[in-house]
Amino acid sequence: MQIVLPRGRMLDDSLELLRQAVPNIRIEDNRKLVQENGEHDLLLAKPADVPVYLEEGAEVGITGRDVVRETDPDVFIPISLPFGQCRLSVGRLEEDPTPPEEMDGYRIATEYPKVAERYFESLGTSVEIIEVSGSTELAPKAGIADALVDIVQTGNTLAANGLEEASIIMESSALLLVNRIAQKTKFDRINKIVFSIREVIEDEPEKIRR
Amino acid sequence: MNVNLIDQSRKLSSVASKLRQNFELWNYREVLLPAMEAAEPELDKGTKFSDGENFYLIKPDITSQILTKLEDGKEYKLFYLSEVLNGGTSGDWQFGVEYVGGNSRFMIVEILNGIITALESLGIREFFVDIGSRKVWENITEEIPEVREKVFNALHHRSFDLIDEVELPEAKLEEIWQLFNYRGQNPEYDRLNSILRTVDDERIFADFGTVRGLPYYDDLTFEIYSPEVGAPLGGGGEYSFGEADSCGFAFHLTNLLEIYSDNGKEDRRKISGESEEDFRRARRLVEKGIPVEVDQCK
Repeated sequence: MQIVLPRGRMLDDSLELLRQAVPNIRIEDNRKLVQENGEHDLLLAKPADVPVYLEEGAEVGITGRDVVRETDPDVFIPISLPFGQCRLSVGRLEEDPTPPEEMDGYRIATEYPKVAERYFESLGTSVEIIEVSGSTELAPKAGIADALVDIVQTGNTLAANGLEEASIIMESSALLLVNRIAQKTKFDRINKIVFSIREVIEDEPEKIRR
Repeated sequence: MNVNLIDQSRKLSSVASKLRQNFELWNYREVLLPAMEAAEPELDKGTKFSDGENFYLIKPDITSQILTKLEDGKEYKLFYLSEVLNGGTSGDWQFGVEYVGGNSRFMIVEILNGIITALESLGIREFFVDIGSRKVWENITEEIPEVREKVFNALHHRSFDLIDEVELPEAKLEEIWQLFNYRGQNPEYDRLNSILRTVDDERIFADFGTVRGLPYYDDLTFEIYSPEVGAPLGGGGEYSFGEADSCGFAFHLTNLLEIYSDNGKEDRRKISGESEEDFRRARRLVEKGIPVEVDQCK
């Protein structure tokens, strides 16, 4: 089976979870993008791309709730995982106290255009969404955006770039995803993995970092 | 469809031609629809745009588009081929069938049979159709309507987290759990059982974990898939049009193409094309329905 893991901040916890839940899985440390591993192939992908792999045939994957909210993939989401905690927030320049509901006409830089659009629509605020693919904090500092919507863990990155958190759109953490067709055609094998992961989380949550 | 468009089109057209032929044999008629419609709440999906005065939808969901064209009280057996846009410039090529105004049991039985012959006409024999039931879930949650939405949501995502959040007695949870995982050919739901008996094909299953997201389905919904493709080949279900029972489905042609093997062999009569008589001969053959290939002599 193909198991797609998110590169970046959730990778170590994802690997640790798999080590405990899937017997005989061997995980190399060299971070190769594809690791053939007996009956399982591990694929390392950008978190935003994990749902795409799952929709196109990979059987199991892990990514963040923020990505799932943005992409709304046609996959099963059997369980939440106890790591990858963060929040998707509106950030603004420290010198600009404008609350999100008064950001009419603002240009908002984000990697989450759909979530951002829905959020500002829900506030009745008309903004222009500028889609970027990384280093979102740069956009307000460079003057190409007035504020941003991005993942915040501690707020340190925002602060280091002269920005501050204006409001929280959603809390996020890691989710286990399963391909809908694989759930039917590989019912027992998929269930074995899902239930093993559930067991690890319920029995020894402290072993999986949060 | 952007890469190797001509080659892809040839395969797509080959599949569409066989599907057309199949459903014509089952007495369905093709419906040709406009690419663009004035935006209405009844229309799903498609790509929105505005000319500054009005809002329009380009290539919306075909079922919702067809339903805006039908008259109450009539029976329709229709099929279509169209691209459905996903809100941007890309979309999904679909071949779909709608049967409106017939007997509900008869319609789904005929459509399931049509699906079987359609896939077999494409040389695809390894496939499954899993049928779920909205009513079964409505019945099991009849006494607990306050959690029904949560149960449907849990089903849709197969989410253990959401099931765990539903506060129910242990016995009820066990009942839901059993249903959640039921896949077989002898379900304890007489209507579905009778449909399975009538269709009588080992590839058709009852699967109460099969739930489809579109809002208009009434009871039975189904998903068509193959172990060779990681995404559904198609799906559909039962819905109401006014007072009329209806049933429809669509094949996702991009997914079908992944397992469709066009062997490229054509039984086509070759004609040299050197003389006027050659073209007269070619015309006579075409009039008889015999495919020809006239050689352009250089």
